[in-house]
Amino acid sequence: MTGLLQALVFGVLTGGVYALMATGLTLTFGVMKIVNLAQGAFLILSAYLCWTLWTRLGIDPLLGSLIVTVPLAALGIVVYRFIVERVQRHDHGLTIVVTFAVALVAEAVIALIWGPNPTATTPAYFNQAFTLGSVTVPRAQLYACLLAVAVTALLQLCLKRTWLGHAITAAAENPEGARLVGVEPKKIGTWIFAIATATTAFGGAALSFLYQFTPDSQDTWIGLTLSVVILGGLGSVIGAFAAGVLLGLAESITSTYISVRWAEAVPTILILLVLLIRPQGLFTLAARQDAAV
Amino acid sequence: MNRQRRPRPLRLPVLAASAALAVITVAACSSAASSGSAAGSAAGSASSGPITIGMSLPMTGPVADVSKSGYQGYELWASQVNAAGGLLGRKVKLDMLDDGFDPNQAAADYTRLISQDHVNLLLGTFSSLLNAPASAVAARQGMLYVEPSGGAATLFTRGFTDLFFAQPGTTTSLPDQFVSWLASLPASQRPATAAYVTQDDPSASPAVAVFKTRLQALGVKTVYYQVYDPSTTNFDSIAAAIAHDQPQMIIQGAVADDGAQFVRSLQKLNYNPKVLFQTNAPTDEAYPSAIGGAANANGVFTAQSWSATAYYPGNQGFVQAYTKMFGAPPTEDAANSYTAGQVLQAAVRAVGSLDQSALAKWLHDNTVSTIVGPLKWDKAGDPEGSLLLSQWQHGTLQVVAPASAATTKTVLVAKPAWENG
Repeated sequence: MTGLLQALVFGVLTGGVYALMATGLTLTFGVMKIVNLAQGAFLILSAYLCWTLWTRLGIDPLLGSLIVTVPLAALGIVVYRFIVERVQRHDHGLTIVVTFAVALVAEAVIALIWGPNPTATTPAYFNQAFTLGSVTVPRAQLYACLLAVAVTALLQLCLKRTWLGHAITAAAENPEGARLVGVEPKKIGTWIFAIATATTAFGGAALSFLYQFTPDSQDTWIGLTLSVVILGGLGSVIGAFAAGVLLGLAESITSTYISVRWAEAVPTILILLVLLIRPQGLFTLAARQDAAV
Repeated sequence: MNRQRRPRPLRLPVLAASAALAVITVAACSSAASSGSAAGSAAGSASSGPITIGMSLPMTGPVADVSKSGYQGYELWASQVNAAGGLLGRKVKLDMLDDGFDPNQAAADYTRLISQDHVNLLLGTFSSLLNAPASAVAARQGMLYVEPSGGAATLFTRGFTDLFFAQPGTTTSLPDQFVSWLASLPASQRPATAAYVTQDDPSASPAVAVFKTRLQALGVKTVYYQVYDPSTTNFDSIAAAIAHDQPQMIIQGAVADDGAQFVRSLQKLNYNPKVLFQTNAPTDEAYPSAIGGAANANGVFTAQSWSATAYYPGNQGFVQAYTKMFGAPPTEDAANSYTAGQVLQAAVRAVGSLDQSALAKWLHDNTVSTIVGPLKWDKAGDPEGSLLLSQWQHGTLQVVAPASAATTKTVLVAKPAWENG
């Protein structure tokens, strides 16, 4: 019983982190139909910026993430306006190629600045844990999961309660209709890229104290975040969170009761199942019903 | 070259049959002439001009950073040999190809080095994964193969007689010093329980299996055993299971970053084993910073083939020359490459020719003095020594056993608890 409880706790906490990493991607993928393969590189860039703030100025990564959102949002705007939007005008399909190119360049630049060695932040809570009966709750993962909940709630609030959120939702559901009522796609695209890239600051902060990272760690995380987005359904922030938790639980339970080696295959197996049974994603319908309210 | 040209469709069957016949004919001819031809060619090549030494290294791909220092070890050795007048009065020239950490490419590279580049001598590549196919190519062509790494026991059970491992011990002997040290402790101080985790790697997992067998024989109870895939990056579940079983000692067959990742997962749970031994990973200079600073590395054991501070002949000179040439102290990989060069050099100078069989025979019959200590091999090329037992102590990786190579007499019996960085 303790093993199951521990597996569930780990699954939920790890899944929350996955969701946090995938939040930005679900916006660009869901609303703009752009598979932003540079999202993993932005995540690693955020982790390095948080690490720099922590090592140079002693700023806690959780606090540092708030600072890092600013340059990351600016980076998102630059990448969209000067690269993605221009390519999109000629051929929408090429955006996946150009974001892949951005990811490669970003990885090289990160390696030039910070070097290839693995690194991580070690704030006071990184090696502390709560004990609830016989179940251990790592503080670092708990904080990362709470951050994921906060970011998801904030984004959901923005999407439901602000003009920008309504515009984004409208652009996602009916681009032509949105254009007729004055929602300019380029402007919305800029906002989405800014928000999506800025949210990687939070994912990067969590990554910086939960795991080691190197410039090429993006390969691992882009795969996982794409899995979350496909599972959750395009454009659904809450769906992405739920999918992240589902993925985390599936991995954790597989590791505990089957094998650690099978856990690596869990995202792929889940994606295959979802694409076969419910290709629109597990939580897309719920999100649209919410949007219609 | 007309590789791009395509035959007209109507002629395809005829051309395909002709091409197949030509390929079979050429293959048959080359096969008939191949036995001993490469070795003969290497030994009997012109006595003027440089001696070409071929090697393939993973200069790109996942272990590129490690390979770079390995190649630098070869470069330093070659430059020192040339500065001292070369081998057999001829300069030494390195012919290096990149295999991108792909075993198939490594085999193709060594085939090319022997068959097309007609190198005079070979030096090995990195890891058991690559050295297994590469040494098989060398064996088929009758070429001497001195490898700087590749200590998996399976490499030495194939009946090859021209393979030589340029380290003091292999995976089978990796636990020797640690187990001896543990056995020397009073029973009350020995850990009673152990957990074993290892990457599914030809070097790491057999070593951990030997650990398990030998520690069980000492009375240490196994409470957890897990083999994980090389692509594993999240060790939280493994750490949770281990924390649940509360072993006093953890042995990990770590290959690279997985060592620090695993420690971080233990740290997240604030689980402190009394004894922690990891293969490979703790020898990386970035290891302490990756696990939260030197204080957290304190007490961690590992096995090393080489130490910068060991008092073997030539070792200090190697460290100084390498640092001067490349602007940074040498890594273990650089030292292993340099050692492989020393082994080759000793054989060629003693034999006085490039006769591959004679070189192999000499190495089987003699002991070679190197920067990792005196090396002697059995019939399979397996060195008859053991690796150094090292432990992180206050920011320095100290050699604690054997006594002849130890850099300190202090051994931290219990690993201190994790600290914040």
